[in-house]
Amino acid sequence: MIGRWTIPLIVALAAACGVPFVAGDYLIGVALSLAMWIALTESWILLSGLTGYVSLGHVVFYGLGAYVGILLWGEVGGVLAVGGAGLASGVFALAVGYPALRVRGPYFVMLTFGLAEFCKYIVIDVEAGLGQFSRLLLGGPSVLQLYYVVLGLAAAATALTFFVARSRLGYALRAIRENEEAAETVGVPVAFCKLAAFALSAIIPGMVGALMVARSSYFEPSQVFDPIVSFTIVTMAIIGGSDDARGPFLGAALLVLLSEILWARAPQVYMILLGILLIAFVLFAPGGITGRLLSRPVKVKP
Amino acid sequence: MTLLKLQSVSKTFGGLRALRDVSFEVASGEIVGIMGANGAGKTTLFSLIAGNATPSSGEIWFKGRRIDGSRPDQNCRAGIARTFQIVRPFAGLTVLENVMVAVLFGSSRERSRAKAAARAEEILHELGLEERKSQLAGSLTLSGQKRLEIARALATGPQLILLDEVMAGLTATEVNELLTAIRVIKQRRSLTIVIVEHVMQALMRLADRIVVLHHGEKIVEGLPAAIVEDERVIAAYLGSAS
Repeated sequence: MIGRWTIPLIVALAAACGVPFVAGDYLIGVALSLAMWIALTESWILLSGLTGYVSLGHVVFYGLGAYVGILLWGEVGGVLAVGGAGLASGVFALAVGYPALRVRGPYFVMLTFGLAEFCKYIVIDVEAGLGQFSRLLLGGPSVLQLYYVVLGLAAAATALTFFVARSRLGYALRAIRENEEAAETVGVPVAFCKLAAFALSAIIPGMVGALMVARSSYFEPSQVFDPIVSFTIVTMAIIGGSDDARGPFLGAALLVLLSEILWARAPQVYMILLGILLIAFVLFAPGGITGRLLSRPVKVKP
Repeated sequence: MTLLKLQSVSKTFGGLRALRDVSFEVASGEIVGIMGANGAGKTTLFSLIAGNATPSSGEIWFKGRRIDGSRPDQNCRAGIARTFQIVRPFAGLTVLENVMVAVLFGSSRERSRAKAAARAEEILHELGLEERKSQLAGSLTLSGQKRLEIARALATGPQLILLDEVMAGLTATEVNELLTAIRVIKQRRSLTIVIVEHVMQALMRLADRIVVLHHGEKIVEGLPAAIVEDERVIAAYLGSAS
């Protein structure tokens, strides 16, 4: 597997690095947004794709990272702010993961969604209490610098998901997805493994959140905790294929393209299309594009 | 040497008493059969020993350590494996991966995936599943999935294995093959087996000793030949005249 996909991935990465040399600001912006979605969706797959614990609140790590980022950026500089944002999201995941991961299926979906909304309103209240309704970040890095950093995070998130999926932990996570009680009975420490996946999946979105605040140079809680971010991640993962580190490339590319074409002209159409795509894929191609195109049927002997 | 000891173990689910004051011991190397009609508490007993459920009262000891209240994965690493009566394969993983998970996380806690794969292939060979190793586990026949349950349990490297109706639903030929396979496997690894079985002849041929449960209570324990003649067992199975 590594052999077959190493070369295309290196080519893609090299091409991505070359984008700024041939493209104007608009295209760099689009590429930055694509890299951001790939990073977010890869990290979601690490948790939800592998364990089957579908999170509808992945934005909480992004939003928390954005908040920590804006608080720290002016004080300690960008590098430490981004690192601090990743760390904060990881620690937060460890703290809430233990109770949250005790519920399964639709309950976990609702819980993660509620948790993200809950955190959004906490941050809104805290900010309101401080007399801040939004914050500005001035003198942030250029779009080009941001692009390379987020591209690096997208590559890191892809590598992380790829290697975790094939690691000892990955076997445990997929066993948990298939049958948690059976996994526990063959010796998998399920609570620990789920928590590890939850924390690993939180760090990169936290860093991305801090960077995207620097991109917009503006922080507003209801924007960085917007549940649409979570929905988009889930849709990208399902369209691309949620069992594999390759999926997000296709899912994210398709949706970023659609959004660039439609968002400015017909935002409502875009949201409707998102819903239709999600339903269509869940019903007709639950394995996503990668599952559909790349899976070879298993020969079954009579 | 006593490997497993149950001391007046009871389990209630809400108002329902699934088990009441059940005590028995299993010596190292023994095959003990558990018999009883539907609802007698056989599967509950396995869940308590494996750690999938906690007794309401009583104590369970394994290798001189008290294990009631510990988690299934801890009991697995300590050397207890079980199969599920209603098979629970990792349906979306291949047959080989199913067994590999058990090698990676069972009592051997293998770190290397290559070694785990090699070990898993050996076990699949023993159960006649090696040709199906690349197939998704969910696509196996029932007979195949029952074998996979055993393969996965063995792959954890147990000293004690709890087999829950592994022969139910199989044809006579398949039962015979599986009986032979279980005997060979037991000899090769000096395993201790506790087996729940509805196929009476299978139990008679396999077990050294039989414990009979009825409505959650142990009514009798003894050699297979004595059990079939026991009036209490006949009464429990066929209903008594009085």
